[in-house]
Amino acid sequence: MTAYPPPAPATRNTRVAGTGRRGPARRLTRERLVALGFIAPAVVLFAVFVVYPIVFNVQSSLLDWDGVSAGTPVGLDNYRDLFSDPTFHTTLRNSAFWIVLTIVPQAALGFALAWLLNTRLRGRTVYRTLFFLPAVLSPVVVGIVWQRLLDPFNGVLAQLGRATGIDLLTRSYLSDPSTAIFAVIVVNVWMWTGFSMLFYLAGLQLVDHSVVEAARIDGATGWQLLRRIVLPLLKPTHLALLLLGIIGSLKTFELVWVLTEGGPNHASELMPTYLFKQAFQLQSFGYGATIAVVLLVVAVGSSLAMLRTFGSGFITGDRS
Amino acid sequence: MRRRIRDVDAPPRWAHWVLGPLAVLWMIPVVMVIGISLLPTSNPSTTGLGLVPEEPTLRNYVTIFETNPIARHLVNSLLVSVPSIVLVLLLGSMTAFALARLRVPFKGVVFVGLILALVLPMAGVVTAMFKILQRLGLYDNLFGLVLAYTALGLPFAVIMIRTTYLAIPDETYEAALVDGSSTWTIFWRIYFPLGKAAAAVVVVWQLMMSWNDFLLPLVAIGDNDLKPLTLVPLAYRGIYLSQPGALFAVLVLISVPIVVVYLSVQRYLVNGLAGSVK
Repeated sequence: MTAYPPPAPATRNTRVAGTGRRGPARRLTRERLVALGFIAPAVVLFAVFVVYPIVFNVQSSLLDWDGVSAGTPVGLDNYRDLFSDPTFHTTLRNSAFWIVLTIVPQAALGFALAWLLNTRLRGRTVYRTLFFLPAVLSPVVVGIVWQRLLDPFNGVLAQLGRATGIDLLTRSYLSDPSTAIFAVIVVNVWMWTGFSMLFYLAGLQLVDHSVVEAARIDGATGWQLLRRIVLPLLKPTHLALLLLGIIGSLKTFELVWVLTEGGPNHASELMPTYLFKQAFQLQSFGYGATIAVVLLVVAVGSSLAMLRTFGSGFITGDRS
Repeated sequence: MRRRIRDVDAPPRWAHWVLGPLAVLWMIPVVMVIGISLLPTSNPSTTGLGLVPEEPTLRNYVTIFETNPIARHLVNSLLVSVPSIVLVLLLGSMTAFALARLRVPFKGVVFVGLILALVLPMAGVVTAMFKILQRLGLYDNLFGLVLAYTALGLPFAVIMIRTTYLAIPDETYEAALVDGSSTWTIFWRIYFPLGKAAAAVVVVWQLMMSWNDFLLPLVAIGDNDLKPLTLVPLAYRGIYLSQPGALFAVLVLISVPIVVVYLSVQRYLVNGLAGSVK
């Protein structure tokens, strides 16, 4: 998730220097204590509910453990098993599909909508509201609704297929192993395109109008303006959506769980659904923790790689 | 406020011809959820491509309150979402203020930690969180969910609100300090009220996470009476299998509060996301 640089240039550095010159050392210590007081509650909560679970996961991943009795240390066996686990390979393949097939359509459609709705179009607020609406719904609601929509008997798609004679529409996309993951991806695109649109709308607000005007005066056509000026200036937005898409492929649990439970026969499994099954249904808590550790490593690794390559500005809104 | 790029432009003439049909297409699942919620159990036939019941009825909305303790689940959801929103706004604003204006020890470390936490998938910590809640005596406890959601929501809140606070001119802080205001007063009287646009985004985001979530209560709440609304369709799956109308009425009930909140703060969303102070 991204915030963007405020219109006014941030000048906190000058302030810090100013305080340093004026205040004696004693006040500095006091200020530090006050600052600690401000962040302490958040830090404690964060340590207990986010940092400690990560440590706990790493510890559990080294155990053969059902989650109830005392576990047996097995070293790195869980990891060895995982990397040769065919279902794990399926989750990786599905994540790859997910990354490509959600990020690109959501960004392209989201940008097109933002571009059209960033004008003085009559009814633009209504359009924005409608397109963003799916993103605020619970994945449980979205999952159950789409399950019925794609149902080969009662579903809208199947009824349309029967009415028009297009048999392709009456297929059972969610229970066919070769289409299940793609059906889930389509639902995800429906749900999150409005979110990409909102991001691009926010990004477009921060593109300097004078640059665009200047390009116009120089005779740039609409297409050139878009390709050479606006899209490059929206780089922080593209990057944020890219990162969110990668993370989305690693965190989506509910939608898959409600639509297919990762099935049929693991065909639409993602890492979260697989780890949930292992930890809570098959009582392989240690193995589930191992999947969680790999998931976290991939998530943190890809984020760090993007931060190193592009700087943190696209996340925090700071200018580098 | 800068002018938006295309504010001065008229939209292309074909805009409605593309956006209109697309919006209709986009709304089919929403129309369907309302349509099916009006489907009577006695006559589950539909027309209009399965979107419209032949004999619509509001009966299901009564049934769900009569046959299941839906009201209790609704209260459970509120008891989780509202406190976690309040906590995340307060603690998030405090942390954002400290990071934006105060000398925080290890500021760099805190900051990198925040950014990484922002992308942390909940699924990666949920198994361990289940064990930790158990050890803290917070398994089957709604307050445990409140604390967990607050912790998970803080990184986004802090980064969002901090950007807004950085846009408030330093002179404001300096002047208040010279006037002898305490740090807390400066935060509470000046910064906190000015963070309204970012706060709107944080409220929607936190509500989306806490109200809509299903994974954490699935592992941390075993007692049926304590389950939030999102678990109802699964917890009573057997009952709803033969009553699609009642099931979809529950889905509408889950969605209405969050849609209402979204509609009431949506005018802040784009600006809040753009980090500008109104």
